[in-house]
Amino acid sequence: MADTPSPDSFDAIVVGAGPAGSAAALALARAGRSVVIIERGPFPGSKNVYGGVVYARVLDDVIPNWWEQVPVQRWVVRRSTMVMTGSQAVTVDVRTQAWGRPPYNGMTVYRADFDSWLADQAVAAGASLVTSTVATGLVRDGTGRVTGVRTDRPGGDLASRVVIACDGVNSFLAKEAGLLPKADAAHHTLGVKEVLALPAEVIEDRFGLAPGEGLDIEMIGCTRGIPGGGFLYTNRDTVNVGVVVSLTGLAASGVRPEELIADLKEHPAVAPWLRGAAVKEYGAHLIPEGGYDAMPALAADGFLVAGDAAGMTLAAGLWLEGVNFAIGAGLAAGRAAAAAIAQGDVTAAGLAGYRKALEANFVLQDHKRLRGAPQLVLSDRMQRQYVQLICDLAEQVFTVTNPEPKPGLVKLLLRGARRHKVRVRDLVRDGIETAKVFR
Amino acid sequence: MADGGQGPAPAPVGPSPVGPLVVACLDPADLRQEVDPLTGEVRADWRRADLSASDGAALEHSLRAAEAWGGTVLALAAGPPGLDPVLEQAVALGARALRVPWSDAHSGPAVDAVALAAALAAAISQAGPPALVVCGDRSPSRGIGAVPALIAHHLGAEQALGLVSLTVDQSSQVVIAERRLDGGWRERLRVRAPAVCSVEAAGVRLRRAPFAAALRSSGQPIPVAASQSGVASTGAQLRIGGPRPYRPRTKAVAPPMGGTHDRLLALTGVLVAHDPPRIVGPLGPVEAAGELLDFLDGHGYSPPSGPAQ
Repeated sequence: MADTPSPDSFDAIVVGAGPAGSAAALALARAGRSVVIIERGPFPGSKNVYGGVVYARVLDDVIPNWWEQVPVQRWVVRRSTMVMTGSQAVTVDVRTQAWGRPPYNGMTVYRADFDSWLADQAVAAGASLVTSTVATGLVRDGTGRVTGVRTDRPGGDLASRVVIACDGVNSFLAKEAGLLPKADAAHHTLGVKEVLALPAEVIEDRFGLAPGEGLDIEMIGCTRGIPGGGFLYTNRDTVNVGVVVSLTGLAASGVRPEELIADLKEHPAVAPWLRGAAVKEYGAHLIPEGGYDAMPALAADGFLVAGDAAGMTLAAGLWLEGVNFAIGAGLAAGRAAAAAIAQGDVTAAGLAGYRKALEANFVLQDHKRLRGAPQLVLSDRMQRQYVQLICDLAEQVFTVTNPEPKPGLVKLLLRGARRHKVRVRDLVRDGIETAKVFR
Repeated sequence: MADGGQGPAPAPVGPSPVGPLVVACLDPADLRQEVDPLTGEVRADWRRADLSASDGAALEHSLRAAEAWGGTVLALAAGPPGLDPVLEQAVALGARALRVPWSDAHSGPAVDAVALAAALAAAISQAGPPALVVCGDRSPSRGIGAVPALIAHHLGAEQALGLVSLTVDQSSQVVIAERRLDGGWRERLRVRAPAVCSVEAAGVRLRRAPFAAALRSSGQPIPVAASQSGVASTGAQLRIGGPRPYRPRTKAVAPPMGGTHDRLLALTGVLVAHDPPRIVGPLGPVEAAGELLDFLDGHGYSPPSGPAQ
């Protein structure tokens, strides 16, 4: 940028230099708008906790050949889903080498690297970035329209035509704007993880990977019956292991989250993978998993909200995604804000293009289509009874009891259902519900 | 900007120099370095580079001294480009900034402190004759703490190290410094400029930069001092050995006396008369204190008689 604009001349202020914030700033800067990103950490990504896979195809149109420059840890070529009890595990493993070639599918990253890289793209496009600065509140005009933010620096009241809140889960700015209701524990989960160090070649040997290839395992049944699941992801020379559990379920159980990770690490299906690994880091973070029905209104006069601040994490059992939704929402927010500024109407009506854009792309379409998934996946039957039923059924199918002849599968299923008090009526109803949710 | 370019020294970024030059000699470092417990390898991430509390105090003292004297602050640091964001913070506070390219600035005790101090002193001299150089008194990059004294040597300046307080006399270029002494005493020093001082983070916190200044300084290129052809590394003054298992020193122990039976009796004390434990409570505080004093008295632990303390 040739000239740094004075603080009162910004077209837009983006709060938070996570994926949503940097994407929003990138879109605004590309549209020729002056934009500043305010980040509370010393550098983008320094405050973020994450243990998952980033699906970055959303960047195809914005950063051509992004995969040639993104700071990747490993390209995920194996995606496993593991159903487990304390002593059993049934795994469905999907592997394709197509995911290991451009344009790739998913990757593991360190958020400190990835978020810094994405913020650099925004800065290169002309955005300004100010770190170590906390946005402490909103500035409004006499009509209540948001006209800027207040920061914790001296002389830190900034004016702008649009403020985009990308300040993460439990967004204080979205609450102050009246968009986000009081936090509801039922719509949030707690993610806790350990980062365990292992040499790269050991990771590749144990998980059947070539150099640069990665694995992602999602688990269910490993949380002592607390609604949620576990995960394991491979980085270059570390492995992320952790659980994501319902806040209300965790509080009711009296179990501490680190006990759940300890359980997971000791599970006979997991322990051999982690033998000799050294703990490097422990982290925990709230995740907004309420889905479509828990999302706030996305715009107010002079104000937009995107990413985790708008509860855009998709937790739909088969799909556990967040960063791509944040980037998608951030790009849409930036473009909508730029269009509204160009038209001279930054009221909620003028910014309505944001929601329309999200409804036209994957962000709200996926959320809307899978709106029933969080409740279904976290239901007691899915979390306890069906897990036990599946594991027992698989064990008995492959247990050879000669001289007894092999039992029929239906017989085994019904026997298992009786043992775990699963009613066939519920089984059929949940099957239909699952088909409806994932149709 | 490329590191270590030859040619005329680039002007430090920041406001134009006026009045006496006060140099804040900083050692930005990753304050959360990871140490491998097995190999002793230290891993630092430059993105986490920041000022330690004592370096922050050094910069704050420099700003206050420059304000009092109507002078200019130069924030100076040695290291790779990764520490430029820290120098940008100093620019946002109104300082000028200059970086000395130095590849092993974070090699801990193995750094060549003599050469580093010579390079820093040369960069200071290029910027102008300093009235005051302020350093933090602790090296967050695990240096041996000799750099401030060596800079003073190179500049031919007076030095006052390990200060808890530093103020300047507005009417004259005199620094009034305070330093801890043993036994809770302190000494107050009057140090004439030019001087090199190192300060503790005692009662001083670095001010926050205004937003507009932080915005202006964000991403601003930090000039790099010209490489010093006369500064040759003579190697580290300390040699660092490789990690090895802990081996405690051998302790001389007197040989056992008597037979096995006697030693066992002595160790267990089974035939030695002793008072059995007894329960004396619950008691009020006065009674409990009396019981304790009686016990100590009965076992020969009474304090020596003398005047009341």
